[in-house]
Amino acid sequence: MAIKLSRSKKIRVLPGFKLTLGFTLFYLGLIVLIPLAAVFWKTSSLTWAEFWHTITMPQALASYRLTFGASLLAALVNAFFGLIVAWVLVRYEFFGKKIVDALVDLPFALPTAVAGITLAMLYSQNGWIGQLLEPLGIKVANTRLGVFVALTFIGLPFIVRTVQPVLEDLDPELEEAAASLGANRWQIFWRVILPMLMPALLTGFALAFARALGEYGSVIFIAGNIPMKTVITPLLIMGELDMFDYAKATALAVVMLVASFVMLLAINVLQWWTNRYNTHNLA
Amino acid sequence: MTPAATTFHTPHPVAQRRSTTESPLVRRLLIGVALAFLSVFLLVPLVAVFSQAFAKGIGFYFHTLSDPNAWSAIKLTLYAAAIAVPLNCVFGVAAAWAIAKFDFRGKNVLLTLIDLPFSVSPVISGLIYVLVFGAQGWLGHYRDAEQPWLPWLQNWLNEHNFKIIFAVPGIVLATIFVTFPFVARELIPLMQAQGRSEEEAARVLGASGWQTFWRVTLPNIKWGLLYGVILCNARAMGEFGAVSVVSGKIRGETNTIPLHIEALYDDLNIAGAFAVASLLAFLALITLALKTWVEYQHARQNQTKMFP
Amino acid sequence: MSVEVKNVTKKFGSFTALDNVSLKVESGELVALLGPSGSGKTTLLRTIAGLEFPDPGTAQILFYGEDVTQIPASERKAGFAFQHYALFRHLSVFENIAFGLRVRPKTTRPPEAEIRARVDKLLKLIQLEPMAGRFPSQLSGGQRQRVALARALAVEPKVLLLDEPFGALDAKVRKELRRWLRQLHDEIHITTLFVTHDQEEALEVSDRVAILRAGKIEQIGTPEEIYDNPASPFVYDFLGNVNLFSGRMKDGAVVIGETEFSLGEGTGETDTAAVAFVRPHDIRVTRQANGPALAALVLRSNAAGPVANLELKRLDSGEIFNVQLSKEQFQELAPKAGEPVFVELKNVRVFSDDYSI
Repeated sequence: MAIKLSRSKKIRVLPGFKLTLGFTLFYLGLIVLIPLAAVFWKTSSLTWAEFWHTITMPQALASYRLTFGASLLAALVNAFFGLIVAWVLVRYEFFGKKIVDALVDLPFALPTAVAGITLAMLYSQNGWIGQLLEPLGIKVANTRLGVFVALTFIGLPFIVRTVQPVLEDLDPELEEAAASLGANRWQIFWRVILPMLMPALLTGFALAFARALGEYGSVIFIAGNIPMKTVITPLLIMGELDMFDYAKATALAVVMLVASFVMLLAINVLQWWTNRYNTHNLA
Repeated sequence: MTPAATTFHTPHPVAQRRSTTESPLVRRLLIGVALAFLSVFLLVPLVAVFSQAFAKGIGFYFHTLSDPNAWSAIKLTLYAAAIAVPLNCVFGVAAAWAIAKFDFRGKNVLLTLIDLPFSVSPVISGLIYVLVFGAQGWLGHYRDAEQPWLPWLQNWLNEHNFKIIFAVPGIVLATIFVTFPFVARELIPLMQAQGRSEEEAARVLGASGWQTFWRVTLPNIKWGLLYGVILCNARAMGEFGAVSVVSGKIRGETNTIPLHIEALYDDLNIAGAFAVASLLAFLALITLALKTWVEYQHARQNQTKMFP
Repeated sequence: MSVEVKNVTKKFGSFTALDNVSLKVESGELVALLGPSGSGKTTLLRTIAGLEFPDPGTAQILFYGEDVTQIPASERKAGFAFQHYALFRHLSVFENIAFGLRVRPKTTRPPEAEIRARVDKLLKLIQLEPMAGRFPSQLSGGQRQRVALARALAVEPKVLLLDEPFGALDAKVRKELRRWLRQLHDEIHITTLFVTHDQEEALEVSDRVAILRAGKIEQIGTPEEIYDNPASPFVYDFLGNVNLFSGRMKDGAVVIGETEFSLGEGTGETDTAAVAFVRPHDIRVTRQANGPALAALVLRSNAAGPVANLELKRLDSGEIFNVQLSKEQFQELAPKAGEPVFVELKNVRVFSDDYSI
C-alpha cells in the first residue's frame, strides 16, 4: 500500500479523483463530444464547393441576417431594460418586489413552446396586445418584429441576473467617495457605477445574444415562417431535416456552431475580465 | 457605525438631498419603467396562458387533458425526465467533485466543454443525434454494412429493428443533452467556494471516502444540488427544439407534452393547445417558487454559518 | 472656528448613534474622534461629511461659519477618506486623484494642464509619483491609503475627514503612516478630523482628542489633559491599562482595605462607596512599608520588552492587579513569585456615583 502511494506523483488526501474524473470524461464524451463530432464528420461528405453553396444560398443569407439582427437588437433592448430592472430590484423597495424578482426567471422556466404559442396568440391581429398595436399600423405576428419580441422574452433574465449580484456587491463607499469629491448623482452613475457594471453588463448581453441565436421554440410560432422573410436559421435547418437532406442541414449547423463557439469564447473572455477586478480585491 | 446602518431609512423624510440616492421622482420613474417592461413581457403572457386554457370552459379543459394522446405525451415526458435528471445529477456531482476538490491541467477546458450544450441551438442538439443514430448516420451505416464489426450486434439490431431516432431512446438522449450542464454548473462554483478543508478534516478524523461525501460534502451542497435538479427538471420537461428533431412526432407514441402542444396548435385547436400548455406553465410557476424557496434556504444556511 | 457641530442627534431605528453632540474644531487643528465601536464616532464624521444627515431638530453643522446642515456631500467640499479607501478600481492612481476635479461643472473645472499639474503635485506629496499609471489593485494597503488621502486633498477641501485611516493596515505600516500624516498636516495645515479606536494613535497624532461613548462626547482636550485628567472611569479605562481598587471615601482620602490613601484635594464626601483608579506605572513596589501601603503577593513577573510587568494579588481581599516597573526598578527589586511585598499607590483617582476628582 505504502509503495503504491509513493509511486503516484501526488498523494491525495481526498479519494475518488480517478473515479469522478473518469466518469466525467466518459459521460461528456458519450453525450456531448462524440455526437458533436458527428456534425463535422457529416460535413466532410460535402465538397468545399457544395458546402459553400449551401451556406451562402439566398435563404441561408436571409436567415443569418434575421437571426443575427433580431438577436442583437433583442439583446440591446434587454441590456437597457435589464439594467433598469436590476437597479430597481437592488436599490429600491416597492410592493411585490419579491414576486417580481422571482418572475424575472420565467423565461428560463417556461418551456419555449408555451412561450411561443402564447406570444403568437398575444400579438396576433385580434390578440390582447396585437389589437392595441393594429390601429397604430404595427404588425408583430408573422413579421420580423415578432422574431424580435420572442427573442427579447427569451433573453430577458440574462442581463438582470448577471448585473444584479454585481450591483448588490457594489461598495456603497465608492458612491460616497465620489459624492464627497463633488460628483452629482448622474456623474456618479456614469463615471463610477456604470464602469463597474460594464463587464457584467457585457457578459449578460453576450449570454442573451448567444441564447437568442439558437432559439427555436419561442420564435417559430410568432414568426409565421415566411420564406426569405421570417425564417430563422434553426428553422431552415429543421426544414432541411424534414426533407431528409442531412448534408445541407449539417452545413448550416456548422455555421451556427461556429457562431456559438465564438460567442462562448467571448463570454469566457468577458467573465475573466469581470473577475479581473475582483481577484485582488482581497488585499 | 456598522455598514448596515447606512441602509436604514430616515424615519421622517425631510428635504435632505442625499448624493447617493436618486430623487423620488427618478425612483418612481425607474420603478415604473421596470414594472411596465416586465408586465408586457412576463406578466401578460403568463396570465394569457391560463386564461386561454380555460377559454372554452373547464369541461373542455379536462376533456383535452384526458385525451389518450395527451396522456401518452405526459407519460413520455415524465419518463424522459425520470431518466435524464438522475443521470445528469450523478454526472454533476462527479464532475463537481473532480473539478472542485482536485487540481489538474485542462480544468478550464473541461469547464467550457461541460457548458457546451448550453451554447448549442436546440435544433442542432437534436441534429447531432440524428447524425449518429439516424438511418443516414453512423448507426444506419453500421446496420447496412456489408462486413460489419461485431456481426452479431448487427444481426441483433436488425432483428429487433432497434430504433433510436424517431423513437423514445432518441427523445431521452436529446433530453439528456440539453439538460447536461444544469446540475454541474450549480455545484462546481459552490463546491469550489467551499474549498477542501472540511473534507480533509473528515479524512484526518478517519472517515472513509463515502462517509466524507455523505456526511460532510452532501449536507454542504444540498441546496445547490436541489436548485440544479429543479432547473434541470424544468428544462427536461419543457424541451421542444431538440426533441422535435428526433421524435418523428407520432401522436400517442413519440410526442412529448411540448410536441403535443404544437400538434394541437397546428390543428388550430388553440384552446386545447393552451390547456396542455397550462400544465407546463404551472410547472414553471412551481419551479420558480421552489427556486425562490431554495435560494432563501441557502441564504439562511449561509447566514447562520457566518454568525453562529 | 472652522468646523462647528451643534446639537446633532442621529438615530438608526431604535439605536441612538449620536445623542445631542456638539463639537468645535479650530482652523488647522488635527482632532481625533476616539471611542469603542458603536460609540458614534464614524456616524459623527459621516454627518460632518454630509453622508448622513442629523435627525430633524435644532441640529446645525457649520463650516467656517456657513451653515451646511442641509447641503449634500457632493456640494459640501469636505474631503473624506474611507476606512477601506474606496478607490475606484477601474481608474488608475492618477485618474483616482483627478476624479474630483474632472467631475466639476465646466465653468469651474480647471483646464487639463492644471489638473495634471495638481495631480502630479499630490503624487509627489504622497511619494507615489512612479505609481501614477497603476491601478488600485496593484498597490499595497499603505499606498492605497495615501492615494485615498491625495484624492480627498485634490479638491482642496475646507476640512479633511478620515475614517479609521490606518485601521486596515498592519502594525508597522500603521506607525509609519501615522508619522507621515502628522508631518503632512504640519506641512499643509488643513483642518482634519479622524476617527480611530486606537488610543495610542489618537494620543500620538492629534492636537486634541474627543472621546465618544454611546453617542456622546465624554471628554475633549489635548492628549495630555485627557491622559492626566480623565473625566470619567470610562475615559480612564479607555486610555490605557488601569487597576481598580474598591474602597470607601473618608475626608478627602480613600480607604482601601485598612489603608488610607490621600487624594490631595479636600472634599466633603464621607463614607460613600468608591472605586479608586491607579495606572500600573503609578504603583511603587517595596519590600518594606514606609507610609501608607497595601500588602500583596507576587504572582508572576514578565520582564520581556522595554518595561517589566508584575501581576500581584492583594493579601486582604485577594484582588489581582498589575504593576509596571522600569527595567532598573525591576532589577533592583528582583521580585520572585510567591514573595510578599508592599505597594504604594500614587495619583489615585476616585469616581463615585456623584463625585469625581
